[in-house]
Order: sequence, then C-alpha cells, then structure tokens
Amino acid sequence: MKPPFGQRLPATFGTRWGRACGWVAVLTALVPASAEAAKLRGRIDGFRNLLNPVWAEARDPKQHGYSFREPVATVRAEFRRLFPHAPKEICIAALAPAPQKAPPPVLVRVGGGRTTPVTIVVPPGTRLTFQNTDPFKHRLHGVGIPTFQPADTVRGATREWSVPGAGVFEIRDDLAPSLRMWVVGDVNVAAIAYPSLKGDFALSVEEPGEYTVQAFFAGKKIGPALPVTVKDADLDLSKTPLKLADEKAAVAADKAEVEKAKIEADSEAKPGGEK
Amino acid sequence: MVLSRFWYVLLGLLFGAALFLLHIASSMYNRAGLRARAEGLSSDAQVVSWYLRDDARQRSAQLIPFALEPDVAKYLQKSNESEAKVPEDARGKLTQALQRVSAQIPKDAGFDSVFAVDQNGRVVAYVGYEQASGMEDFELGGYPVVADALHGYVRDDTLVLDRMYRVVARPVEFDLAAMPAGAIVGARVIDDRFARELSQRTGAAVAFYANGQRAAAASPAEFNTANLDAIVGDLTDLEQDKDYREKGRSAVREIGGMIAVQYTRLPGEAWQLGAGYAVARLPAAVSGPLAFFSKADDKDKKAGNLPLAIAAAVLAAGLGILFSFLEHTRPLQVFKLEAGKFAAGTIEQLTPSHFRGLFRKIASDVNDGVDKQLAKGGGPRRGPADFKQVLGDIPDQPVMSAFSLPGDAQDSAASGPGSGAVSVPMSSGTSAQGAGRPLPSPPGSAPRRLPRPPGAAPAAAPAPAPAAHLEASMPEGGLTEWGSGAADESEWQDVFREFVATKKQCGETVDGFTYEKFAERLRKNRDALVQRHGAKRVKFGVYVKDGKAALKANPIKE
Repeated sequence: MKPPFGQRLPATFGTRWGRACGWVAVLTALVPASAEAAKLRGRIDGFRNLLNPVWAEARDPKQHGYSFREPVATVRAEFRRLFPHAPKEICIAALAPAPQKAPPPVLVRVGGGRTTPVTIVVPPGTRLTFQNTDPFKHRLHGVGIPTFQPADTVRGATREWSVPGAGVFEIRDDLAPSLRMWVVGDVNVAAIAYPSLKGDFALSVEEPGEYTVQAFFAGKKIGPALPVTVKDADLDLSKTPLKLADEKAAVAADKAEVEKAKIEADSEAKPGGEK
Repeated sequence: MVLSRFWYVLLGLLFGAALFLLHIASSMYNRAGLRARAEGLSSDAQVVSWYLRDDARQRSAQLIPFALEPDVAKYLQKSNESEAKVPEDARGKLTQALQRVSAQIPKDAGFDSVFAVDQNGRVVAYVGYEQASGMEDFELGGYPVVADALHGYVRDDTLVLDRMYRVVARPVEFDLAAMPAGAIVGARVIDDRFARELSQRTGAAVAFYANGQRAAAASPAEFNTANLDAIVGDLTDLEQDKDYREKGRSAVREIGGMIAVQYTRLPGEAWQLGAGYAVARLPAAVSGPLAFFSKADDKDKKAGNLPLAIAAAVLAAGLGILFSFLEHTRPLQVFKLEAGKFAAGTIEQLTPSHFRGLFRKIASDVNDGVDKQLAKGGGPRRGPADFKQVLGDIPDQPVMSAFSLPGDAQDSAASGPGSGAVSVPMSSGTSAQGAGRPLPSPPGSAPRRLPRPPGAAPAAAPAPAPAAHLEASMPEGGLTEWGSGAADESEWQDVFREFVATKKQCGETVDGFTYEKFAERLRKNRDALVQRHGAKRVKFGVYVKDGKAALKANPIKE
C-alpha cells in the first residue's frame, strides 16, 4: 500500500531551501491528513439477539456450571438473553480489496474472565500483546497453534504472539475456562472498530477506496457485508445499520430454551432426577 | 471317661466353631463396614453438596440488601454512562455503600468479598479483596456468573482464581425498563475456616482441592485432618475414574489402606478445572478375630455381656472339672484306697466290683497277676520281705512246748540239763546270752559246729553249755559250702531260738511251734528268694512288728 497522500506531494521546487520548506509543508499537510482519515460511522442492530457462546454453554445444566440459577422476576425477559457485550465481543472490520500490511502491536487485556477484545480481526503477522490485568496468573494458549503453547502470565506481565496467517485462531486459558478469544487473520483488513453498548461504531480508514464493512463475532462473520466507497469525507452508515441477528430467530431460540428448561426441571423433579 | 471325653470333644467343637464364627464375623464385619463406609461416604458427599447449594442460596439472599441499597444502583448506573473510565466519585460512593451494607449482615452469613460490577463488567467498587488494590481496570464481566447476573439471573458458581471461591451474584436494577445497572457479587473463600464450618454442620471429614493441591480441609474431632493430605497423591489418578470423569463423583477409593475417600467435583467453573471436594472416612475393618479387642471401644465393651461370658466359662470349666473328678479322680482315689488296703493286707485281693470301667479291668488283672505269682511261689520284691505275710499266720500255740529262749533262767532251770540240745549261734549277738539256755532240739540234729557267716568275727570259744550243748563247727567242705542250704539251715536254729524268745518276750505263745515247721517255711522262702533274686543265700532275722515277733529275710548276693 502506498503511503497516503505521498504521491500527491508537488515536485517542482528547485532550491534546497525551497525543497526543504516544501517537505516541511508536505509533512505538515500529511499529519493532519492522516489523523483525519475518513471515518465510517455506522451502527449495528440486532446484536442483542446474539448469544455469547461461552455464557450460553455455561447456562447448560449439563455443564454443571452452577448449583442453582434463577431469573430475577423484575428483570425483563428481553434482557435475560445472554447477548454479548458488544464493546468487547463484536468486531467491525473494514475489508479492503487489496492486502493490507500488519499494523503496530495491538494490546489485548486479559482479565475479568475474558480478553478485551474477545474477537479481533487483523492482518496476518500482526503482533498481539497479551497483558494480564488480573491479580492472579493466567495460562494462555492457542488451540492447535504450535506457536502459542501454554505458559503462565503473572499479574501485570505481558506475552507476545504474532498472528501466523489467515484463518481463525482461538485462544484459551487453562486456568479460566470462560476465557475464549478469537483472532481472525484476514489479509484485507484495513481497519477495525468496536461498537458501544448502543451499537454505534466508527471505522477509520486511511485511504479512500472501496471497502466492505463486516461484523465479526466469536471468530465468525455475522450479519451482512456492507460495501462502501470511501472518499475524503467521513461516511455515515447509520441509516443502514448492520443487522447482525434476527429477532424472530432469537425469540424462537428463547422459547426453545424455556421449553428445554421446563423439561429439565420436570425431569429433575422426578425421583432419581436429583443427582 | 465318656462324659469327660464327650466334654473335651464338645469343647473342641465349640472352640473350633467359635473360631470359625469369629472369622466369619470378622469377614461379615469387614464387608458390612465396607458397605457402610461406601454408603456413608456417598451420604457425606451428598450432604456436603446439599450444604454448598443451600449455603449459596442463603448467601444469595444476603445480596438483596446490596441490590436494594439506593447508592449501589445509582452509582452503578453512573458508571455505565462512562464507558471509557469509571468515575472516581462512583467508586468512592459505591465502596461506602458496600461497607455500610456489609456491616449489617450477620458475620456467619456474610461474605469475604463483595464486588459491585457495572454493565461493562468493570468492578466499580469492592470490599474484602485487597489483591485488586490499585487496579483500576479490574473487571469480572467475563465470568458466566457475573454475566448471568448482568442479564437478570441470580446464581452461584465456584471460581478458582488466586484461591478457590464460592460465588453468588444477582442483578442490581436501577430502571426496571432497562437492563440491570450492574451486578452485585459476593464471594466466600474456600479455606480451612470454610471447611471447618462445613464439617461442623455436616459431620463430614472434607477436603477441597484445586490444581492438584489440597486447598482446605477439616474433619470431626475423631478424624485426624492430616489424613486428608493423602488425597494429593491420589488426585493424579482421579481423572481415570470413569464415574468422576462423567458424573463428577468418583467411586469409593481407598488410599494406602488408611482412609476411604470419595471425590466430587464442585459446581461452576471449578468443575472444568478439576477442582472439587473429597469426603473421607476411616476404614472400619478388622485384620482378624483378635482385632475386635483393639477395635472395641468402651461402649462396645459395655455392650458385651461379660457376666454371661464369665458364667459360661465357669460353667464349662466346672463341668469339665466335675466330669474329670467323677471319671478320673474319684475312681483313681477308690483304686488307690483299695490298693492301699491290698498293700496293707486288709484285703486279700482287689475287689473289681468296687471299680468301674478300666479300673475294674486293672483290678481284675492285678488279682490275676498276684494269683499267678503266688502260684509260682511269689515274685521278687525289693527290701525286706514281711515274713509274717510270707509265712502266713503263725500259730499262736507253738507245737513244741520245749521251746525256750536262751538266757531265760527260769526256762533254763526248768528244762534242766539234758532236756534238749541247744546250739549257740555263732553270729548272733545273743548267742552268749543264749548260751546254756535250753532250746528245742531240732530233730535229728547232732552236735556240730555251725558255719561262721562271712565277715563275722572269728568264732569265740563256745561257752560250755550246762546241759545240752550244740557244738558249732564248720560244715564239711569248709567255707566252700557257704550259701548252700546246709549252711543256711545251720543258722536257722539260732533264728528259731531267737524267734521263739522274741515271741515269748512279746507275750505270744509258742505252743505247737516246732522247728521243723519253722525250717520248712524258711526253706521254701529261701528257695523262692534265691530263685527270684539270684542270691547265694538268705539271711533271716527276727524283729518285732506291731508288738509281735516277726521274721525278715535278706537275700545276700555276695
């Protein structure tokens, strides 16, 4: 990828001083130009119809994750769905048509039973720096990744790992089963962003061009891919939000879950059902 | 002996049966102990499981005051509004609110740590978790228990962090039309205090383990808690237990013959981490019948009917003694008494009808033996023979009235010279005194010299007999004939005289008592004794027995 705006520098200055002043002027012009890369402002919708796979798995009684789990009646049913925490778990990526080079190292915080972010989409070769923000150690490893073997990371310490190539890589912690992170290696990733609790996001792309905005969740693409054409100005995509999941499907899934829970409760109530 | 033998057999059978029964009993005891131990361990594991669930429910109720505290909901909501950073005032206010509510909770129902978590999963405030001091980005939102609370559920979990925690969480609502403002999380450290509390309430010996290490342990007073350390070595093989792997509860496992253990996974994240608890019991088994004594405690010993056992032992011993007395001691005593009488001559023979069983046969055999020996002339005997018994009763009235004792002046005077030949014994001390005493003359006897017994002093010159004189002279052939019947019989006259004199001294009559009879008896006895003892000769002497004159025979073998 060519340096942004570099080719636009004028080549007609003759003198050294003039040339030097010209470079200063160009650099001065470049910095603001880079800082003010075009922003793609958008919004995701329906993410509350998604299910966090870790939490959904943990609620299964067969996983023995609890001895009792009861809904609080005053909390509305729509909030009881175990939808993901969007600012950490849903990654919005701008995919360029051409391969992108690896960005500087990305900090991944490890703490609170998960990583921040939980899903990240980066070009291969991107170095991830895992920092332990818990007051106790973690033992991260990549599932099936030879270059990421289990090793302890004590409080405050960091651990480096570079994405080896394109694909989906899962990171886990031997000491915290709920901790699961997905790293998506994609050569075309030009920018990523994480939405707010309300679903708003803003992508910063360095160069104008054709991009595809795609949401990722739990290492997978979710929702439709939104093609956009970036020019010099910011682009507001919020009028066409990315609908990540269908509410009807989620409601149906909720109903199915309620039915399943009833059946399990009935079977437990029968003699011998109690373990 | 039938009863005694029956009793011995019975006692032997009883002993064998008792030993057999004890072995059976010990086997049954061990089997029952194993079954009871397995059931007890399962019961313990179940009770601990129920306790943990009930405790979690009880403590989740203690979270309600936190959730209802206005400041908690208010400042959690305020924290939610700032996605970038938790407002400092929210931290302070929430901390105060948490401390305020915590102070109102009874100590035994409270928590070691309480966390207030906002919708972003950030820990806005906490109490009792100093490990997180200074960590502004400390959060808990990724744990399913917290996520569930943030989504409107109340539940428990067991987390293995720096330590093991029993955790309960519930939502905190600020606006009922919106998502919960956050969650309140209470945690109890699973340490020895927790285990002790659990053990006291359930009566189980319990140890918690995580990451292959024992995390906490406690047991009732009668169980040494140090025994629970043995589980550490067993944890490595635990995953191979199919029940444990699939159902979360192992079969009963015995560790080193010391303790029996059953493992149960803890619910929550700890389940996947292989953390759990073990309940243990000591083995209730005996190595053998005698081990009952060492295993029995005072209560058991009290339950044992010792008086009955003693009475049975005394009865058995008494019956045994009675039977042996009736069938052994008493017949023996009767036999002894009868034999004593037989020996004393009170009875002529043993009376078999007085005896029973074998003694009757013995008595009969003895009688037969005696009869046979007597028929053969008597058997050898040790020591001086009772001549009276040998000779039979000597007639009170001697046949020969001319008998007189040597030295008896009256008799001597009465007899007068020439009344009969009197010999002077050569070896008798009484010969001198007896010299000149009229003695019945053995028929056909001629004055001659009597042989001198070996070892005797050289014959003194015989005192001249006043009337009758028995000249003592060496037998023909000299001493070569010593030991022959002629030599013995030469002494018998002296013995006869001494015997007659002794009888008279004892007040016995000698009427009809002749030398011929006397000599014949002596001859028979001499022959019998010579034959029996292989003696060369027999020397007879006179002595007084029971106030009567008696003869004794000494076989001489030189």
